[in-house]
Amino acid sequence: MNKKFLSFFYFALTVVILIAALKIFNYLPMMIQKDTMRRYHSIEDVKSKLNIKEISVPSYFPQSLVWPPSEIFAQNKPFTAVVMEFRHARIGDIALIISQADSKDFKADEKIKIVQIKEKISYPLKGRTVTLEAGMCKNEEPCSRIVWDEGRYRITVTAKASPPELLKISESMIR
Amino acid sequence: MTSFFNSLFNSYLGMFMTQAFCHSIIAFIVVDRAVYLWSINNPLIRQRFHLIVVLLPVFSFPLYQAINPDRVSVSFRMEALFDINRWLNLELWETIPLGLFFVVIMIITTIIFIFQEMLPILKHTVESRRSDIEAEEADDNSVAGQAIKNLPVEKPDIFILDDDDRVLFSTTGRNAAVFISTGLIKTLDKEQLQAAIAHEIAHIARNKKPLLIAVFLFRIIMFFNPVALLEFRRLVQEEEKICDDMAVALTQKPHALSGALKKFYHKNGDANPLKLKKLSEMRDSIEEYSHNAHIENRIHRLESRGICKTDGEWLKFILTITVIMGINYFVV
Repeated sequence: MNKKFLSFFYFALTVVILIAALKIFNYLPMMIQKDTMRRYHSIEDVKSKLNIKEISVPSYFPQSLVWPPSEIFAQNKPFTAVVMEFRHARIGDIALIISQADSKDFKADEKIKIVQIKEKISYPLKGRTVTLEAGMCKNEEPCSRIVWDEGRYRITVTAKASPPELLKISESMIR
Repeated sequence: MTSFFNSLFNSYLGMFMTQAFCHSIIAFIVVDRAVYLWSINNPLIRQRFHLIVVLLPVFSFPLYQAINPDRVSVSFRMEALFDINRWLNLELWETIPLGLFFVVIMIITTIIFIFQEMLPILKHTVESRRSDIEAEEADDNSVAGQAIKNLPVEKPDIFILDDDDRVLFSTTGRNAAVFISTGLIKTLDKEQLQAAIAHEIAHIARNKKPLLIAVFLFRIIMFFNPVALLEFRRLVQEEEKICDDMAVALTQKPHALSGALKKFYHKNGDANPLKLKKLSEMRDSIEEYSHNAHIENRIHRLESRGICKTDGEWLKFILTITVIMGINYFVV
């Protein structure tokens, strides 16, 4: 019985060691290459540490959202990318995600996932061609996304909001 | 080049391949420790455990994505136990992405899979269906016929090959048969011959089960995975031990089977592969060394037959799968 218990104990110990090893192996690349994707405390922090000069932020910001971003992730390798998440002031859910990436394939986050696209249109906005997708998220919540290219970056703004509200936010980001 | 690899590894297929690779490494470690710590010595149960390493990674990524599509998002990856993309995106001397080496390993594995698994199996399947193998059917009064007369099992057709080499194999399917060379018949005594044919009869009986065919089909999906390549060989080795046990159950003579196995031991296999100059010689020597090690292991098993414990194996099996599935969920 004691031997049987010990075998289960050693198995559990193996699992713990394996998890610890995975954590260490996951951390090592961040030590080797300083500009891989990681979490930052502020936009200024990203600008100074990754030397990214232009980070698009909206000048119009709805009162229902909390400033500053609740999460900021950024990287310079393999390409430059910044992701900012903003929470709803009252509910606390993530209500707005802004990403800018030097890659067309970059998928920022699926925390706001449009499950049903009802309308997709492209039109000019302050000299850029933007693509607007309007639809529904989970729980029948209205949500929409706007995508456009700003220099070498692709900007994606996704929000749990109606298209007019999202347009105001996006328009304020284009200078 | 970096952006090409980045696009590749972030596509659905790329994520499937990279995550299947990681998931199989973790499954390999957990299964290996489980088998060792719980002293699982029954080859049938050991094979079941090794199957986890080959089969789970086929389903894990699509299953996890169906449960949680956010698993590939930036925030999930940041919180994950292990994110392989961090390693694949690393650049050596700021130019060569580590992902390139990963792709090279996958290509080498695929080539080995094609030439060492796929083609031999296809060849064997084609040969099994051919009826023009030059062999003479053994009648009940022949040495082989007499040897298996008392086996309590449905007897397949036995064919004698006129060959001085030691050859023994079976074909499956509708025309299941055992082929044995005159050279081997001369070297084995009656009991050893009975045990050797009983082993082949076990193979025929096992191959009737569609499960093994299904396993191989899933294994094909993992053609790129070096861990699946290694583990599938272990599965095949366990299959030999299962057939050894079935043969012993039929004949009740483990020493006769171990005696027969000793005749298949390659004498040249003791040569040090590292001292050989030609690459082909080295490869052959490694193969012989591996063959001999496996035969020795089977002989040792048969000669020191202990009790195969089978208590609580399902609990251990389920626990092992649960642990692997739990850890792999957080490995992206």
